[in-house]
Amino acid sequence: MSDGIQKDQPTPNVEPVIEAPAEPVQLHVWHQLLVDRVSQDAVISCVPNAKNNDLITIIVNPEHFLSTATVLKNDEQFQFDYCRNVSGSDLETHMEVAYYLCSMTLNHEVCIKATTNRETPEVQSLTSVWETANWNEREIFDLLGINFTGHPDMRRIMMPDNWVGHPLRKDYVPLDPEV
Amino acid sequence: MAIRTEELLLNVGPQHPSTHGVFRVVVHIDGEVITSSDPVMGYLHRGTEKLAENLTYTQIIPYTDRMDYVSAMTNNYVLCHAVETLMGLEIPERAEYLRVIVMELQRIASHLLWWGTYLLDIGAMSPFLFAFRDREMILDFFNELCGARLTYNYMRIGGVKWDAPEGWIEKIRNYVPYLRQQLIEYDALVNGNEIFLARLKGVGKYSAEDAINYGLSGACLRSTGVKWDLRKDRPYSIYNRFEFDVPVETEGDCYARYLIRFAEISESLKILEQAVEQFPAEGETMGKVPRVLRVPEGEVYVGIESPRGEIGCHIISKGKDKPYRLKFRRPSFVNLQILPKLLEGETMTNLVTILGSIDIVVGEVDA
Amino acid sequence: MKGILKGMGVTFKAMTDKKVTYAYPDVPINMPDRFRGIQHFDPEKCIVCNQCARICPTDCIQLTGKANPDPTKKGKVIDTYDINFELCILCDLCTEVCPTEAIVMTNNFELASYSRDELFKNLDWLNENNQLIRQENNSAMPKKGGEK
Ligand code: SF4
Ligand code: SF4
Repeated sequence: MSDGIQKDQPTPNVEPVIEAPAEPVQLHVWHQLLVDRVSQDAVISCVPNAKNNDLITIIVNPEHFLSTATVLKNDEQFQFDYCRNVSGSDLETHMEVAYYLCSMTLNHEVCIKATTNRETPEVQSLTSVWETANWNEREIFDLLGINFTGHPDMRRIMMPDNWVGHPLRKDYVPLDPEV
Repeated sequence: MAIRTEELLLNVGPQHPSTHGVFRVVVHIDGEVITSSDPVMGYLHRGTEKLAENLTYTQIIPYTDRMDYVSAMTNNYVLCHAVETLMGLEIPERAEYLRVIVMELQRIASHLLWWGTYLLDIGAMSPFLFAFRDREMILDFFNELCGARLTYNYMRIGGVKWDAPEGWIEKIRNYVPYLRQQLIEYDALVNGNEIFLARLKGVGKYSAEDAINYGLSGACLRSTGVKWDLRKDRPYSIYNRFEFDVPVETEGDCYARYLIRFAEISESLKILEQAVEQFPAEGETMGKVPRVLRVPEGEVYVGIESPRGEIGCHIISKGKDKPYRLKFRRPSFVNLQILPKLLEGETMTNLVTILGSIDIVVGEVDA
Repeated sequence: MKGILKGMGVTFKAMTDKKVTYAYPDVPINMPDRFRGIQHFDPEKCIVCNQCARICPTDCIQLTGKANPDPTKKGKVIDTYDINFELCILCDLCTEVCPTEAIVMTNNFELASYSRDELFKNLDWLNENNQLIRQENNSAMPKKGGEK
């Protein structure tokens, strides 16, 4: 689809048309694969995100986060070699990190997520799998306070080293509301 | 008697002109050779993501201008695109064309700025003046279109703020052959210069595996032979209606990145030419947008190709008029990660060459 | 050597080109009509609807209204109206939402001053800033759903 030039196509379809109920073909295959390759309880949920062009979103058991990621990168059928984006968020009941992965060879995408509690947030670091995660995880640590275990260099990146608190948390009190 | 040598710790920046902003690299040097380095950033951190949580979607648009301030149009677009994807909005055709035209003009302006300043970094003065002369024209187009030269705040959710003024499209049409002519001149001015080649070739080299592993995007990725351009691979807007090439080089050094950006200017000109040709004679510039913009609950990530690479926007919405969480994937930030690896074992003089070739904008690195 | 000489050729050729620089500030620069400069405010038109202050992303507009002195008319009239140009980013949003075009952009952009206090502009100052008012305002534009 990438090189197709549709100059005369009259309909200005910005997004590919989303056929409402049809599930992406890979959904169950991938789910099964992960269960086989990683562990029975590796996947907590695996659903397409209808709002985002049916991007498959997998919530991974935090205990198996690193091993799942390794499988996703190295397995023949996945080959997710490219990490597009890493984001963390504070959802007030819990914290969440999301990795948007993409395979250059097979041209498919997935989003994997892991959740953690708010008191002592901790997630396994994926820096050893994708180097992209390195600074992104540092940024999440800095702004949200999620500690990535196994990260080679867990320091603040944006805020000064002596800063107190994590600004992107919902309960963060700004030093000076005027600023 | 042997000369006593010691490792030296050197701060490059934060106000070094070649860091293009306020950015610091702490380098350990042994003689002329860099043994290790540690980039220090955050001097320009304004907390855009935090601020955005307390602003409505329309109010965030001016803030995106200030992230990557040399390519504000693509930043505007990524936010609007993300919100539109989440809401499932239709954009009028004319607005889409205007968006593509301004984004491609922006790409040219950004690459011209990079071209000029990069050559200035490595010691050539006149290209800078040439590049600014031609970039100035693009800024004048933008000024005429939306009333600002750098921080445009031009796009709105559902369309664009202004329709093209009279004669504006015609000016773009005339600009394309003009810049083509200039590019030939630029080529003669720099691309054959032996000193320039000696400083760039083979410097700051990395492999395709590294590039992918580090998540590089844009010219930094394409310089290693990976043909990955979101305009082609994840077509957004109306890019599938245009015919253009994605320049690729295989060397992975500074020279390859230079050539790609240079070639991308010509490709953008091609798109501009076609967009101006196909530009609809009339039509709306603003789609049907509800009175108060409430974005349905959900989560979305979209990435588009900015001049520097993939700029992405990740929104978590809880159905309010303000985002619950907004995260920008900033290409400069991700691309910069490879810097310590590239600097290891290089000489001090190459630091500027390598840093410049990554093409960072510190406003975007720090957000 | 050849490449360098070729480059020199281009440079020398440019010596005969027309000058492209401006003689600003000796010669003032005329901005295109849409240019977003310091706002002009017209107290007569303002209906104190507060929309401009609410849309402003940097919260730099402060306004107060008072009851209409003419008891036969309803509604409020503007009492004070201040824009803090330390904060204003000239983003155009206030002029975009104003239903009566009480606040409009002008083409003036010279704001530099020796003191920060001078950047705090009040109603009278904004009212007197009535040169080069932008012609093409939001009424000329297709209405977005949000505005009246
Ligand atoms: S131009 Fe923007 S920042 Fe300035 S007063 Fe108006 S809304 Fe506020
Ligand atoms: S939006 Fe216009 S009418 Fe309403 S308070 Fe502001 S200036 Fe007055």
